[in-house]
Amino acid sequence: MYAATTSVALVGGEARPVEVQAHVGRQTEAFKLSGLPDTAVREAKDRVRAAVTSSGIRFPNRTVTVNLAPADLPKGGTDYDLPIALGILAASREIPDLRRAVVVGELALDGAVRAGSNALGAGVLSARHQVPCLVASSAAAEAASIPGATAYGVSSLADAVDLLRDGLEGTEPARPRETVAAEPSPDLADIKGQTMARRALEVAAAGGHHLLLHGPPGAGKTMLARRMIGILPRLEVTEAIETAMLWAAAGRRRGLDTTPPFRSPHHTASKAALVGGGSGNPVPGEASLAHRGVLFLDELAEFPRGHLDTLRQPLEEGVVSVARRGTSVDFPASFQLLAATNPCPCGYHGDGRRPCECRPAIRWRYRSRISGPLLDRFDLIVRVGRVEAGEYSGQAGEASSEVATRVERARVAQLGRGQVNRYLAPGEALLESLAARGLVTAAVGNVLLTARGADRVRRVARTIADLAGVDQVEEEHMAEAIGLRGEWRDD
Amino acid sequence: MTEHRLVSPDDEDYPEGLLDLENPPPLFMLGETTTAPAVAVVGTRRSTRYGMNLAGAFGRALARAGWTTVSGLARGIDAAAHRGTLEADGQAVAVLGSGIDVVYPAEHGEIYHRILDGHGAVMSEYPPGTPPDRWRFPARNRLIAAIASAVVVVEAGEKGGALITARLAAELGRPVFAVPGDVDRAASKGCNLLIRDGAHPALGVEDLIAELELVLGKPPRRPPPTRITIPPTGVTIDDLPGLWGCTPAQALARLARMEIAGEVRRSGDLVAPI
Repeated sequence: MYAATTSVALVGGEARPVEVQAHVGRQTEAFKLSGLPDTAVREAKDRVRAAVTSSGIRFPNRTVTVNLAPADLPKGGTDYDLPIALGILAASREIPDLRRAVVVGELALDGAVRAGSNALGAGVLSARHQVPCLVASSAAAEAASIPGATAYGVSSLADAVDLLRDGLEGTEPARPRETVAAEPSPDLADIKGQTMARRALEVAAAGGHHLLLHGPPGAGKTMLARRMIGILPRLEVTEAIETAMLWAAAGRRRGLDTTPPFRSPHHTASKAALVGGGSGNPVPGEASLAHRGVLFLDELAEFPRGHLDTLRQPLEEGVVSVARRGTSVDFPASFQLLAATNPCPCGYHGDGRRPCECRPAIRWRYRSRISGPLLDRFDLIVRVGRVEAGEYSGQAGEASSEVATRVERARVAQLGRGQVNRYLAPGEALLESLAARGLVTAAVGNVLLTARGADRVRRVARTIADLAGVDQVEEEHMAEAIGLRGEWRDD
Repeated sequence: MTEHRLVSPDDEDYPEGLLDLENPPPLFMLGETTTAPAVAVVGTRRSTRYGMNLAGAFGRALARAGWTTVSGLARGIDAAAHRGTLEADGQAVAVLGSGIDVVYPAEHGEIYHRILDGHGAVMSEYPPGTPPDRWRFPARNRLIAAIASAVVVVEAGEKGGALITARLAAELGRPVFAVPGDVDRAASKGCNLLIRDGAHPALGVEDLIAELELVLGKPPRRPPPTRITIPPTGVTIDDLPGLWGCTPAQALARLARMEIAGEVRRSGDLVAPI
């Protein structure tokens, strides 16, 4: 006797249907599982048998064969427990056939259904193929919040069996939860002084520009960086789904949080942790977890240079390709790069109040750990100076919400033109006044800017004009953009 | 954004012309006023392209000749005059019929902010937050008439605020100029009526400037902006807004201009003169 149901595999953060085929034969008792399962899936056999028995249902004492198709999709995690159990029960005619449903959930030995990481994927397939999906009750609202999905929550295997025996038609599907309440991010109002760095942060947020902050220890670089999320525009629901699916592929639940993600991997993180990969099924790394949000690299110069260079592909293409024998998986990784670093090993070069103890050669070596091509990615390289203790008494800075309003307006203007300014090719769609162009030409003439530096400054000036709410980049915007750049290589 | 302030007739920076009014009201003010005599350029909101172009040209010419221009930030002629002034890097005064922080119409936010960015002042007799009610605008017009040493009406219908401004100005003894137009064009009827009643016809940009200088004398040249300096020991970049009394964005822009001009050099956190 044969039955099948559908479950989900996540490939590169995208939900693909997996057919769970179950056959109960006449031979002596056995339980076989095929179709490229990983260890966690192979262990499903034991969990399924225990859960079925604990739920007071007879487990067929015949040859049970379960196949997960297509075999070439990598399948991992514990989310196949429930579809395997229900497939077997359908094959032994304990419950009606459920070919037209997507099932996802982990089984405890007592028959309870727990939410794995794929509930969102079930919701996506439910919406795409217009079929109901069955997930753990704790994840039902999450799956139901995918626009167009019909989700039913079950708390135990027995619960699922009852639901299917009664038929789904008579039951009310789970209600969507619009968005997850975001945890409040730290506010810019906490930062005293640092007026220039705050302005740089606002401009970077508005244009989505990659930003490198450098300066002595204790200047507040990390504090500033952590306040970026609070001034960025919220994600669209479709973007929140994309990001949550990547998190799910990494075995994490994020829900439909419309706060942009903020990831700050430590400099000891491995390459695989940074950009994805790992042994077995490829898993997205921090670059993809930061998709549509911010990847913050604190102590940038402490990261191994080879690790940093792996970020060049996502910075250029917005995806990470993880190659495997015979195949390669693309994980979306379109993030805004935020980085902070000391100017030298002791940290005080250029401080003006405290001498630097590093020999020039040591300083040069420290800086050369950040490769030129990576440095070229930062539209904004900004010096953050130290605030003396006495200056802390200044009035509190502007709150994040006020800055966010301006950022939002500038973003709307950019998206009206088609893209965020970070992606502008040199000279593209800038609309500069003659005076503005004259100023940047003069700056290049005075060797204040390199030709590449000028391209970056012009992109930043475009964003400053967007923040001012005007169509044309004026001289004052260009001047401010030139003023914002803080030299890294030459000081 | 700088804080607004309330100035009363006793204060030093209270616009002198307003003292000619019977009851000079206290004013809410943003930005900096200049002592240069002001010329109002006003007109209808339902202006023609011709009128807008002319108002812009007047704004530019007046600014270059050293006059401050006054108008009401309204659509049409007012906005064109303000824009012209700003294009010529001149000083503008916008007198609002709403609270000083209420930009009406909202699309003139750019003009409003550029005026406040070192190009003059915005003033109103209404407290911040007051909505732009129609009935407040005639009262606002009397302020425009009084602040200005002369009033130029570019286009005006048979009825409307611009004619009220012109009449009030005439009562206060200010010379009134009007641009003549086709007798059958609605946007010119008011101007032609003013000319019939004794206003000076404004026959073009040069003619207007010449007439103004004849009636009021040449405006004093604007004193050159005080030289922006940096102490020889150097300062940190974060000190600049405080030192120069401007926003961080303006400080960065000034710093960049000085760097390009080769006047200062940056090294780490410090900015020092060369």
